[in-house]
Amino acid sequence: MRHWVRVAFPKTYMDRQRRAGFLFILPAVTYFSLVFIVPLIQSVIGSFHRTVPGGTSQFVGTRLYEKVLTDSTFWTAVRNTIHLLLMSVPTTVVLALVVAIGLHRLVSLRWRNVWAAMYFLPFSASLVAAALIWQWIYDPVYGFLNYLLSLVRIPPQKWLQSLAQVRPSIALVSVWVRLGFDTMIFLAALQSIPGEYYEAADIDGASGCQRLRYLTLPLLNPQIIMVCILELIFNFKIFDQVYATTQGGPASASQTVIMLLYDTAFKYFRMGDASVMAVFVFVTLLTVTLLQWRIFRKPVEY
Amino acid sequence: MRLRWLTALLLACGALTVFFPFFWMAVTSLKTAPEIQRVPLRIAPDHWMNLGNYREVFHREPFGRYLFNSGLIASVSAVSSLIVSSLAGYGFAKFRFPARDAFFFAIIGILMVPFQSVVVPLYLWVNRLGFLDTYLGILAPDLVSVFGVFLMRQAIEVLPNDYIDAARIDGCSEFRIFYRVILPMVKPAMATLLIIKFMWTWNEFFWPLVVVNSPSMRVVTIGLMSFTNIYFIEYNLLTAAAVISILPILVVFLTLQKWVVRGVVMSGLKG
Repeated sequence: MRHWVRVAFPKTYMDRQRRAGFLFILPAVTYFSLVFIVPLIQSVIGSFHRTVPGGTSQFVGTRLYEKVLTDSTFWTAVRNTIHLLLMSVPTTVVLALVVAIGLHRLVSLRWRNVWAAMYFLPFSASLVAAALIWQWIYDPVYGFLNYLLSLVRIPPQKWLQSLAQVRPSIALVSVWVRLGFDTMIFLAALQSIPGEYYEAADIDGASGCQRLRYLTLPLLNPQIIMVCILELIFNFKIFDQVYATTQGGPASASQTVIMLLYDTAFKYFRMGDASVMAVFVFVTLLTVTLLQWRIFRKPVEY
Repeated sequence: MRLRWLTALLLACGALTVFFPFFWMAVTSLKTAPEIQRVPLRIAPDHWMNLGNYREVFHREPFGRYLFNSGLIASVSAVSSLIVSSLAGYGFAKFRFPARDAFFFAIIGILMVPFQSVVVPLYLWVNRLGFLDTYLGILAPDLVSVFGVFLMRQAIEVLPNDYIDAARIDGCSEFRIFYRVILPMVKPAMATLLIIKFMWTWNEFFWPLVVVNSPSMRVVTIGLMSFTNIYFIEYNLLTAAAVISILPILVVFLTLQKWVVRGVVMSGLKG
């Protein structure tokens, strides 16, 4: 407390310095408190209150939690979300690793830049635009994908309109959007590995596979973990692609947690229920991120 | 040697596959409605210069207005983010004051708060303040990003203190040091932040969907949705609209790609 008084009313040069530093961060701190911290606390409070039509809210304890967490539509959404991310996260990370290692091995710098730019391109499109383009490619009657299949005499598929194919189809869109982003992170990491390591491996007579297994992958470990976590978070929050194409259909087969949250809050205006889901999303992602910290803390041995 | 060629070939195939949806979008936007429903499918449009769909997009929807809205919001959010982030970055990087690190970690911690977890109270606030359906309402959560603060702090931290001390000895005020000494040295980081923040806000969908009601306040991502409906979609128009919505950002992206990659690599932070 004494510190703060001295910062607020500086007498010495050092105190004036401290005040200056604090003033520099003040706008950011104020903004983040108003836009994130206060609403987050309100979300938590809101999840324990029921708002009666007319505006008054009433404390109901954990009743909303019991209601939402025993609701089968909520668990369907959770299951769908997890199913989606189990398909898209490993695919994206593995493909990105392969592409990054391939790009890194290209001798011609110019071609490396050209191909890298192409892989990176979907990152610049909005998720809505990406999903809508893919919806056109997936079109059951006039879509390009079914045209390709017809060339090898496979009957047309219904893709986004089929119960079984809708989730893999949406997962593919996520992979397409995120592949370049992850590739860039891996490529930058690969380029920062000193060439001497590989020279040493060559002198020791390591084969290509051994170099990959014992040198490249261990050195990329921090980036791989980071990208996995980023992808998990990104895919857990999946909304735009689903909203733009299937709106959760057919028959809730692509309903996701954030879709449900959006509908609950802004279609049915059940803010209490939506707050419970908001807290659920926050707690889940917090757990994931903390796990990431635990893993990151382990020193990587070279 | 053969392996090397194989790698290059596979990479090229992959890159072309990744690029294909863009190509398909552009080609479809040049076709007429009967053309896209032709069986068997023809890849090339009948007339490469058929811009009728683009005219129709602007005719049916105030798409120019959407572009303007998106551009305005993305620019304001990029600039405001730049100002606040560089101030905070300087404060965090070069000053000592009580609880500095606690504040910094609190801000980094916000990265763990998904936006969807705060959207309901935020909506209620915006509603109460009467900002629904206004630029201010759309901008409210986009004015500063944690990524920006982090980026600017990292960039400023590595600058030598001697410059700052020299300026202080010359009697320069703290703000003037920031403005005249620090900022000119971190121009690359500033460019990165401006571009990335512009792109993010331009592509934003969830929050505008929540706060925007009237057609005149729509941004391009929302505007795109007006060309879809569950029963029948005119894909020739939709793809034309998609091209219009992507093109500005694509130009920015391709000309300034170096900076975007820098930003992505720098952080990988935005979850």
